[in-house]
This record gives sequence, structure tokens and C-alpha cells, in this order.
Amino acid sequence: MAGTEPARTVEHLSESPGMGAAFARALIPRRGDTARIPDRAVTIHGHRQDLARLAEYSRVCEFTLRHSVPATWIHVLTFPLHVHLLSDAESSVPLVGAVHVSNDMTMHRAVGADEALDLTVHLENLRPHRRGALVDLVGQAHADGELVWDGVSTYLSSSVSVPGDPEGRDRTPFEAGTPHGLWRLPADLGRRYRRASKDPNPIHTSRLAAKAFGFPRPIIHGMWTHARALAALEGRLADAFSVHVDFVKPILLPRTVGFTSTATERSLDVAVTSRDGATPFLLMRAKDGSP
Amino acid sequence: MGVLEKAFYSPAGKALSAKAGLKEPPRLRRGRTWPQGAIVLASLGGGTVAADALSLLGRATEAPVVDDQPDTPAGYGSRIGALVVDATELTTIAGLEDLRAVLRPAVRAIEPSGRIVILARAEQDGWEAKAVTRALDGINRTVGKELRKGATATLLYVDADAASGDLVSTLGFVLQGRSAFVDGQAWRVSAAAQRPQAMEDRPLDGRVIVVTGAARGIGAAIARTLARDGASIVAVDIPPAGESLAAVANEVGGTALQLDITAADAGATIAAHVAGRGESIYGIVHNAGITRDKMLVNTDASRWGSVLDVNLAAQIRMNEVLLDPTTPGGITDGGRIVGIASTSGLAGNKGQTNYAASKAGVAGLVAAMAPDLASRSITTNAVAPGFIETDMTARIPFVQREVFRRSNSLSQGGHPEDVAEAIGYLLDPRSQGVTGQVVRVCGQNLVGA
Amino acid sequence: MTHNAVVVGGNRTPFAKAGGPLAQASNHDLLTAALDGLVARYGLAGTRIGEVAAGAVLKHPKDFNLTREAVLSSALDPSTPACDLQQACGTGLEATVYVANKIALGQIDSGIAGGTDSTSDAPITVSDPLRRALLAANAAKTAPQRLKALSRIRPAHLKPQAPSVTEPRTGLSMGEHQALTTERWGISREDQDEIAAASHHKLAAAWDDGFFDDLVTPYLGLARDAILRADTSVEKLAKLRPVFGGPGGTMTAGNSTALSDGAATSLLASEDWAREHHLPVLAKVVDAEVAAVDHPGGDDLLLGPVAAAGRMLARRGLTLDDFALIEIHEAFASTVLTTLEAWKSDEYCRSLGLDGALGTIDRSILNVTGSSLAAGHPFAATGARIVPTLAKLLHQRGPGSKGLISMCAAGGQGVVAILEAV
Repeated sequence: MAGTEPARTVEHLSESPGMGAAFARALIPRRGDTARIPDRAVTIHGHRQDLARLAEYSRVCEFTLRHSVPATWIHVLTFPLHVHLLSDAESSVPLVGAVHVSNDMTMHRAVGADEALDLTVHLENLRPHRRGALVDLVGQAHADGELVWDGVSTYLSSSVSVPGDPEGRDRTPFEAGTPHGLWRLPADLGRRYRRASKDPNPIHTSRLAAKAFGFPRPIIHGMWTHARALAALEGRLADAFSVHVDFVKPILLPRTVGFTSTATERSLDVAVTSRDGATPFLLMRAKDGSP
Repeated sequence: MGVLEKAFYSPAGKALSAKAGLKEPPRLRRGRTWPQGAIVLASLGGGTVAADALSLLGRATEAPVVDDQPDTPAGYGSRIGALVVDATELTTIAGLEDLRAVLRPAVRAIEPSGRIVILARAEQDGWEAKAVTRALDGINRTVGKELRKGATATLLYVDADAASGDLVSTLGFVLQGRSAFVDGQAWRVSAAAQRPQAMEDRPLDGRVIVVTGAARGIGAAIARTLARDGASIVAVDIPPAGESLAAVANEVGGTALQLDITAADAGATIAAHVAGRGESIYGIVHNAGITRDKMLVNTDASRWGSVLDVNLAAQIRMNEVLLDPTTPGGITDGGRIVGIASTSGLAGNKGQTNYAASKAGVAGLVAAMAPDLASRSITTNAVAPGFIETDMTARIPFVQREVFRRSNSLSQGGHPEDVAEAIGYLLDPRSQGVTGQVVRVCGQNLVGA
Repeated sequence: MTHNAVVVGGNRTPFAKAGGPLAQASNHDLLTAALDGLVARYGLAGTRIGEVAAGAVLKHPKDFNLTREAVLSSALDPSTPACDLQQACGTGLEATVYVANKIALGQIDSGIAGGTDSTSDAPITVSDPLRRALLAANAAKTAPQRLKALSRIRPAHLKPQAPSVTEPRTGLSMGEHQALTTERWGISREDQDEIAAASHHKLAAAWDDGFFDDLVTPYLGLARDAILRADTSVEKLAKLRPVFGGPGGTMTAGNSTALSDGAATSLLASEDWAREHHLPVLAKVVDAEVAAVDHPGGDDLLLGPVAAAGRMLARRGLTLDDFALIEIHEAFASTVLTTLEAWKSDEYCRSLGLDGALGTIDRSILNVTGSSLAAGHPFAATGARIVPTLAKLLHQRGPGSKGLISMCAAGGQGVVAILEAV
């Protein structure tokens, strides 16, 4: 269906904003419990990808370093824009404590490491949830004016509310079973991923910070688990594909987790689980082609 | 990024431009998709070729609403997807009223990215009939400019002895999303004795097609689109672009050939590559091109020569080798040659004398080759992109770029795939009746003829 | 029944100096890139190849199945099997011999031989005492046992160990060994610098001619060999100070190969398979031989290929005059020069058990598109660089043209092979 996008104000940034200050700012409690989100979009034009950082990212997530970059890498490039918007004064959804519950992304075509990308992110679809409110961070990457990647990151904030009835959500189905693979996640994985992703959230690296949010130990970034699961599908997806993940449960570090992928007629279904395959941490469904 | 560009993208700049009427452009329907609403068929004067072609395409049609009441303007109850007018029997000025009467309600009811297609005869006898033929062109161009939200208008000149089988690939292309950025254009479909068959989804299955400049941008989009349509791609680009080229070749399951097309033996190298694989070339898309923009007062011989060599002379040299029937791996009879012209070439563009020369030259070349190669059933055509969002256009200064981008009936730049789709249409074996034509993919650029 | 094993073509990454433009890439990344370029050149996406044999000299323990993992990362059919092979600097050529033999025996009808090395991403290991202590602690059944095992660790054990390029039995580096050989054979500095300058000039000319357009695919934005210095000269090289053989030595950084990063592959097939699949047939692999010298007993470390070549030529009834082209791997300029001297020496050849000198060659048929001094030498990749290069050159000269490859390797070993244009 052809339609027009609602017109948004676009804030232009000349480079990726630093995230440390945003996180610090986000720790300050805010007034008001009715959720508000900024309605403008943030964009960076002509972002040049850093090869050394891409190499580090590829190593920690176990991608082959090649000309075509991973889909999750482009998410990492848009992440500072997520933080920039969520830490904005117009946003009442606090950045720290917001939980990334699900993610969708589409690679429209292979993207080269040498391509300059126009990255844009906006927030939308603030909606009620039984434990607070959900909001979507919608990202797009254009190369040569062509849409090459888009992603929707859905966050849950329990410290704000939105009036209305929460909608029922379909979760990717999960069946317990013996994993096809085991990943041994070391205690310093969060620190290694932070170097590549630049996500400064201390919950992934500091035991103290993790405890403050109710976890006995640091938890690995959901987007690492997502990336690692995509890396495990190397060569099994077309250059254009779409992928949905549900972040079901955080993974405490260090830990050995199970990995299972099942090819169905229409998709590749992946579960990252406890070692015995009983408890899902991340469920992923990938399909060839852009929708 | 310049100060102006920053200002434009700032919140204040955005608000200002919104006030100035620079709205977000409509998102166009693309790909092998049909209009959502009804396809309305109006046959003025009893022509049947459009009806037959639509039936081959498997599209149901509805009767038109006719604006023939003096007081109450007639209207459709809901949005329509397309209006196809068979005006092949329309030869009088009085008859143009019948056209107005079906256009008026349709223009009002057409859906976003809908289509208005007029079929006419290129050759008519008599002064009035010839004048009417030209009048249709004026109507088509104006309707294109008046339509909104991504809807487009197209005029197809259909030869008297062309049958529905000759028209099917063209009408299918125009109605589908593949023609998203083709607007206000007119081109000719000749008789080519094509069997009356439905359109195929993979018309290029198993056919070897060479795409030059395939490593990135429009060339990569061409390779992907043609591979989607079944083609076996020989992806050609200069050696330094080999890494992207290999990625494109592996993605589309084709082969990569690193080659400088200006080398004297470029055509022979391409033919040897294809012959070495026991195959012959069905089609070649001369997409590789460069710009060396300067005002004429600053254009030296080197800027002049390199652009003309890469964009025009190189393809003439390659064509000569590839068209020689004694060249193993060369272009087969029934083959296709597609060049890339440019609206800059057709209309002229400040600072691009060399580029315009080369691109207008391409338009001249395909027109010249077409009759000479007709006996071998080889068609030669060109597409002329307007403002397409690519690396090359990104180098245009900001203000000029923003003006270019919006200076067309669709108020936006086209995508590389829009050019690729038009090329795929010209390469279709069923497009045998389309030769010596230049199809502009420019969203009806406001500049130029 | 035997089959003709033929070289279809090849693909490599450009080579670069350690710490240079390819420093971010691992062996896995490099080999995958070389494979993907080969797949693209010959339209092999999704094709099952009989076997891929490749290796690396400097290898991380996690890369125990390096080649198979690279195949899985490439655009080849994942059901393509692979094996890792290592014969020091002879790896790429030995992998070619391995694949060609399997094709000749009819065990496979297509194969890829290759090699990769990254001296930028060389494995760093822990010291031997530390490793033993950790293994003991790991094997311990009780906590006190574990503690006891760990208590043996001393601060000095914690120093990481970079891989060494010294010969384990002599403690000399390869350059130091070659310096002894250079002195023994009386090779002059000027001759070495001339070989080095010529290598750069010939490689540069081949690049300018587009010779490598169908042999190399750019990687990570690098489109040409980064070590290549087209503007070098004997005069410039003469200014460098010696790095091997003491202050009076003749071997410099200019006439020795640089530590390099890169990967190379070569597509081989039975002639029938190549023709059925409409692929080019450049040259057949005629024969090969590996030999070794007793370098701990004082033999010249890098003259192993001389015995190999002598025995192979005798077996084939060929002389050096039968070759249209000769490729001698330029580990050092002086390796090439001592090899040529050794071929000429009746005395040396007889000492190897050969009937006499192999003879002299016309220098104009030697390394005609340059070699490792200019291109660089990612150890395991070099053999797989030379094979398709020579096959293409022989093919250009016409059917029946023969070429000889001579490669020295650590451990006093040498690998040689004959290709013949089809």
C-alpha cells in the first residue's frame, strides 16, 4: 500500500553522539508518570564505517570480516541515535531501566564496509503494556539514497504508563529440546562487546550496576546474543533478509548456553537457551528477502 | 556538509521548508506489483489491442465513468488503480472530447501510484489526424504533471500491425510498480510477431547478460534486478572495485569480470570470458559511466576525452566486437543492447558539456543501430535516468541537488532499482517490438524536452 | 586410470606488510575473501567442490580446522569438504600437489588449493611452564591439588611468547641461515639488489598491464600489493644497511621478503570436469617433488629445492632448457642467486646424488611478473600465488609450454613442480 510518511522534524547530527553523558543524564529521575516521547527524527548523513571497529565487532560476535557488513552492525551504528532520543528532555521514558524486549530488522541488500550511510532514528508507537509502556525506536540506513537497512527496536519501560488496554502479544513459539550447539560465554564478554558496540550501559560490565537492577552478575547485551545467533546462520541467509527476535530472558555472565536452529519451509527459527535447552533466552526468526 | 545543508536539516529549516510547500514526497509503489484498485479500460473508437493485452496480462477490467452530463461532474465511487485508454482509432479533434470525458473522472479517482496509460497510433494519415497524435503527447505530459501521490501517465505509440502479444511486456511494465519513476513519457511499440502469451515472472531465465559498472549503485541494482528475472549475470567493473564486484556476483550467482572497459581489447575479453564458459551473450547493459563536470570555459581536452571515451566510445568499440558474428561468445541473434543516456544529455545541463555529449550520443547510437540490427532481431534501446540517488549525485552541491531532486512530477529522486526495472523491461524477450527507443526514468523531470 | 589435473585459474587478495592495510583480518577472514573472489570469478556460488586444501604457517589453536571453516564462510556449497595442510613456506604448492594428485587418481574431479598467513594476527602463546601448570591444575581432582599446581607458576612464566621464525634445531633465524649460505656461495650485494629491483619493476609492469585483473580481487579496500615499490632502484636499495650476516653482511630489508598478510587460492580440476563446466583450462600439473637437506648437519637451509628439482627432471628426462618459464620463490634475493649457482655446480649437484649440474638458465625467463620480494610473502599463500600466475603465463605462450616452480621452505625442505600449458 502506497502511503505517505507523517512529516517529522529532523535533527541533523554531524557525527555519532557520545553515549556516556546521555547515560549519566538518564540516571536522574524524572517527574511525571505519563509517557511522552520526542516526535522528531535524528539523523547522521554520510556516516563512514570504521574498519578497525567493524573488525573488533566481527571478532567478538564471530562474524567473518568481509566486504558485506552484518545487519546487527548497522543497528550498532544507529544505537547512539536511540540513546540520544531516549535521553532527550522531551522523553519521559528513562533510558536506564528500559528493557529491550524485541527487535526487527531487514537487510534490503548487502551493504559494503566502504559505503557511507545515512542513519535516521525516530520514536513511535508508544503503547500500554501490563508492566508499563512499550515504545518503538525505528531506524533506517540509506546508501546512495537507497534504503538498505531498517530496524525496529521495542523497549519496555516499567517506570511510565500509557492509558489504555495493553494489546496481547504473540511470542515466537518455543519448544524445549536438546541444543544443537553450545556457546561458552566468558565473564569478560560484556567488556569485549562494549569496546566494539560502544554501549556504555554498566549493567553489562559491572557487578555493582547489575545488582542495582536486580541481577546478581552482569548480563550480556541482548544485541550481542542476537548478532552471535546471526553469525551462526552465516551462509544460510540471502543477502536480503528480515529477522525478528524476542529477548525473553537476560543471560548472566559467565554462562554456557545452548543454540538450536530449525529450518522451516518459510524461515530459519533459532533458540538460544539454557544449556539443557529448557529455558529460552532469545528466540529468533529469520526469513529470506525483504518483506 | 555545507552550512545550507545543515540549516535545511535543522528543525527550523524543516519547519520552514514545510511551510514553503516542500512536503515529504509520496512513497512509490515498486516491483512486480499491480495497482490495488480496479483497472478501468476505455476504448475510444473501437480499438481492441489494449483489451487483448490486458486479457493476456490476466487483469480484469471495468468500464469507465464518462463525464458526459453538463451539470454534474461524474465520479467513481472508490479509488481506481489505473485507467487504460485505447485511443488507437482516435483521429479527430472532436474525438479528443471523448478522451477528456474519461480522463476527468479518472484523474480525480486515481489511487496513489496509480497509472493512466494512453495507447495511440504513431503514424496517422491526414493533417488533422497527425495534429491529434501530437495533441495526445501534450495531454499525456500535462496529465503527468497534474497527477499527485506517485500516480503517473504514459503514452504508448502502437504500430497499426502490432498485436496484443507485442504489447504485453510494455503494458505489464507500465501498470506494474516496476515503472514507478517513469512518468509523462511516450515511446513506441512496433509489430514484432510475438505470440499472444501471458507475461512471465522470470523472462530472462538462463540468459547471459553482461552488466558493466556492476560493482555498486545503479549497476549493482541492475545485476540484482536482472538476476531476479532469471538472468545469468556477467558482472563487469574496473579492477579496483573488484571486492564489491565479487560480492555482487556471488549474491546473484553470476561471474565477476574485472576489466577496464576503455581497454582496446575490452570487448574481446568479455566475449572470451563468456565463450570460455561455453555461452553467448544475450544482452549487454552499458552502464559504466563517469562524470568530470566543469563549465565549458574550464573544460580541457582530458576532461572532455575521458568522459566521451568511457561513456560512449568504449561501448561502440565493445559493440563492434560483440556484434561480429565470428566472435565466439558474442551477442546472439535476438539479443539486446541497452545503453544509459541521461536527462542531462537530452536537455543539457550546466557544467556537463562533456557528459551531455556522451549521453546524448548514447541516445543517437541506439537509434542508429536499431534499424541496422533489425534483421538479426537485436534490439537497441537506452534508458535516460533523471535524478537517481547515487554516489555520483551525492557529489552535486547541496542546493542544486535539492532542487534537482524535487524538480519532477513525483517530487523526489528515483532509486537505482527504478532504472534497473526499465532496463529489465527492455531486455525482456517479449519486448521485441521496442527498439531504437529512449525511455526516460526521471519522474518527468521538469527540464528538457 | 589417471586424469589430467589442470589449473583453471586462481584468486588472491592483494598482499600487504604486517601491520599494514590487512592487519585487521584474521587467517579465516583472508582465506574466506580469497575463496569468495575465486567463486565469483568462476561462477561457483553454491557449487560443491571435491575438496579444498589450504593452510597457514602461523595458526591460532582455535583455527585447527581453518580451511573447512573458511569454506563454510564462503559462497561455496557448505557440503564442500576441506583439509588443513602445512609445509612451512611450501604449503601453498604442497596443497596444489595434494589436490592435483587426488584429481589425477580420480578421487575428486575438482579442488581448490590455497594458503593464508597473517603475521599481523600471529598467535601469541603462554610460556611452556605456565601452560603445563594450567594443564595440571585443570586435570587436578581436588582443590588442594589445583592450588599446588598453580603455585608452581613464577612471574617470569607469565610473559607471552610470540611465534618464532627460528629453526628449532639450530636456533638461527631463516635470514641468519641464508646469510651463511650467501657468504659460502659468494653472492654479492649488487646481484641481490638487482634481483630485488627487477622483482619490483616486473611486478609493477604486470599490474599496469592488467595482468592481475583476473588473478587478484581487492580486499578491505586494498586493490594492489601494498609492498610493491615501482620506483625502487638498485641505487636506492644500495643505501639500506644489512640486517643479516653482521655489519659486513649483504642481506638487507630490501633484498629480503617482508613479513606479510594475505591469502591465495587456485582452482584445479580434471580436464574433463573443467570442460564440462565450461571453465578455462590453463595448464596441467605434470609432476612434483619434495626434498630436504640436512641443515642441522651443516647443509644450506634453503637449498632443499635443488635436490627436488634434480630428481624430478631426471625422472622426467627433462633439462632446464625445456622450460619456457621458471619461478624461483624469492624468500631472499640471495636464495634465488644461490639456487641458480647450485644448479650450475657440478660438484654440488653430485653431492646431492645427481648425475651432474642442472645447467644455466636465461634470466629473462625467471620470475617474469616479479615474485615475493615485491609482492610480499604470506608464507602459506605464496605457492598458491605462483601456480595460477605461472599457469596463465604458460597459457599465453601456447600449448606445450612448460614451467618450473622452485620453493624453499623451513626445515631444509624444498617443493618443486612442473606445469605445462594445455
